[in-house]
Amino acid sequence: MVLPPLFIISMETGNAVRRTWKRRWGQRYSYLLFLLPAFVVVIFLTVYPLTRVFYLSFYRYNPIRNIDRFVGFGNYTRLFSDRFFLIGLKNTFLFSVGATMTEVILGLGLALLFNVKFRGRKLLLPLVIFPMMFSTMVICAIWRSMYHYEYGIFNYALRSLGLDPVKWLIDRNLALWSVVLVDIWQWTPMAFLILLAGLQSIPVELYEAARVDGATGVRLFRHITLPLLRNHIFLALLLRSIDTFKIFDKVYALTGGGPGTATETISFYIYREGFRYFNVGRASAAAVVMFFAVGLVSVLYIRQVWRRER
Amino acid sequence: MNPWRFSLTTKRLLFWALLLSVMTFILFPVYWMVTTSFKVPLEYATRTPSWFPRQMTLDHYREIWKEQAYKYFLNTVIVSLTSTAFSLAIAFPAAYGLARFRFPAKLDLLFLLWILLVRMAPPVVLAIPLYTTLQSFGLLNKLTGLVIAYQIYTLPYSIWMLLRFIRDVPVEVEEAAAIDGASRLRTLLAVVLPLVGPGLVATAIFSVIMTWNEFIYALLFLKTPEVFTLPINIAHFITEYEVLWGPLMAIGFMSSLPILVLSGYVQKHLLRGFAISFK
Repeated sequence: MVLPPLFIISMETGNAVRRTWKRRWGQRYSYLLFLLPAFVVVIFLTVYPLTRVFYLSFYRYNPIRNIDRFVGFGNYTRLFSDRFFLIGLKNTFLFSVGATMTEVILGLGLALLFNVKFRGRKLLLPLVIFPMMFSTMVICAIWRSMYHYEYGIFNYALRSLGLDPVKWLIDRNLALWSVVLVDIWQWTPMAFLILLAGLQSIPVELYEAARVDGATGVRLFRHITLPLLRNHIFLALLLRSIDTFKIFDKVYALTGGGPGTATETISFYIYREGFRYFNVGRASAAAVVMFFAVGLVSVLYIRQVWRRER
Repeated sequence: MNPWRFSLTTKRLLFWALLLSVMTFILFPVYWMVTTSFKVPLEYATRTPSWFPRQMTLDHYREIWKEQAYKYFLNTVIVSLTSTAFSLAIAFPAAYGLARFRFPAKLDLLFLLWILLVRMAPPVVLAIPLYTTLQSFGLLNKLTGLVIAYQIYTLPYSIWMLLRFIRDVPVEVEEAAAIDGASRLRTLLAVVLPLVGPGLVATAIFSVIMTWNEFIYALLFLKTPEVFTLPINIAHFITEYEVLWGPLMAIGFMSSLPILVLSGYVQKHLLRGFAISFK
């Protein structure tokens, strides 16, 4: 077994497990074998495709219309003058910020509610987590039926209250927020889980001491809960914003990007350009832009993990 | 007096009212799906839908059975079980290696961070080159191709999850086995594996849930109905028929059942499961 020279630098010595094994076989680097299969699969599935998508983004490439030529940064300049891409960028941003903020705020409220010891808490807790277990398509099916202008339960409820029905997915100004609402329903539990864990890691003694000093309700929350929950809130914001930035499936199933361009997002743009119009070059350029955008935010998270792991 | 100071009873009442409204918001869509699947069309395709089915019917379930929805079910089972098994088989030794050995030049850490980045990257970004790769191997529109593509999700995920579980196993246990003369492989299979067993099961369950629900790659890489998985079938259903909600909700409910049952087993691992590398 010849290992790539990349690996042969140094190795830690010390624990008895390896010392024993080393003595027995003298296999200095055999532990690398453990990682090898995973390493090969990851390289094949990620490094190669990423290199390829980067490469393609410099070509005007359309396999259907048989176009294949080098255009340098042409795809990128076209991208940023493409109305659809810019609208997609704006919508993705609005969606991500709107959904993330609401989910974390609601998740915090929900976590505070469930931080109280009440009868039936153990029974309800798994039910709160319910929404994020479902397939997004099942969720979209349900919400699409509830949002329906004529037969939907929401408009039925509004009509019976004597109010005007709402064009949930048909109104240009509302459609994006209707999709946001579905995301909020599905993923608030995630923020809830993170924040509940945070709340439960705060020692009760702190509150008791503050109460003795005369602090109550809102002040306890502002001066103890919030500061000590900072890391958890940050993590929830980070994970949710990374996830919401990729929004694709809900747009596909609920609105198809419409009405007009009201719910066009970057992922949807890449899908349409690449897999419907076969403008592979331009789709690749958009993919590269998106990869770096998500990567930038991910780095914040990765840096945290790095600090902890090191 | 502070106007915000309520009596204890008022506080309790407010608390329960809040809890009730929150639970209603969370559970109503699920309730709506289940009840709609038992309603006759007259009760849902109308301007005045019924809150509870007045006339229960199993017609929609019979219909999806006749339409052979179990084929999609079977495809989904095959894909999610195979991708999970494949991932775990590779991820377990990898996670073990990463947990127990220090690699030169922080390669272990770099590898871990790279797969974390991959997990967070948008799936559409990799979709374009993957499409051509699968095509050139003749794996497009094949469940095998999808299983390979799913490794992008499940492999990084499984490695991170298992890493955490293996780190919880004290290294002394292995040292004892090694000193007693067990080979490395035997230590791994006979000592470490049973100890991380529950973690392995939890990881497997999360991986099954993840692949069971996956949509984008299935949409892009599967073309013909005989290989469709459940989410794709449902997506076609949603976009093609406007108000055929009875059968749609029936198939939605049936496809969610296994996941809900499985998720019951991983309640205590939920946090680890959904926010990888979070502690």
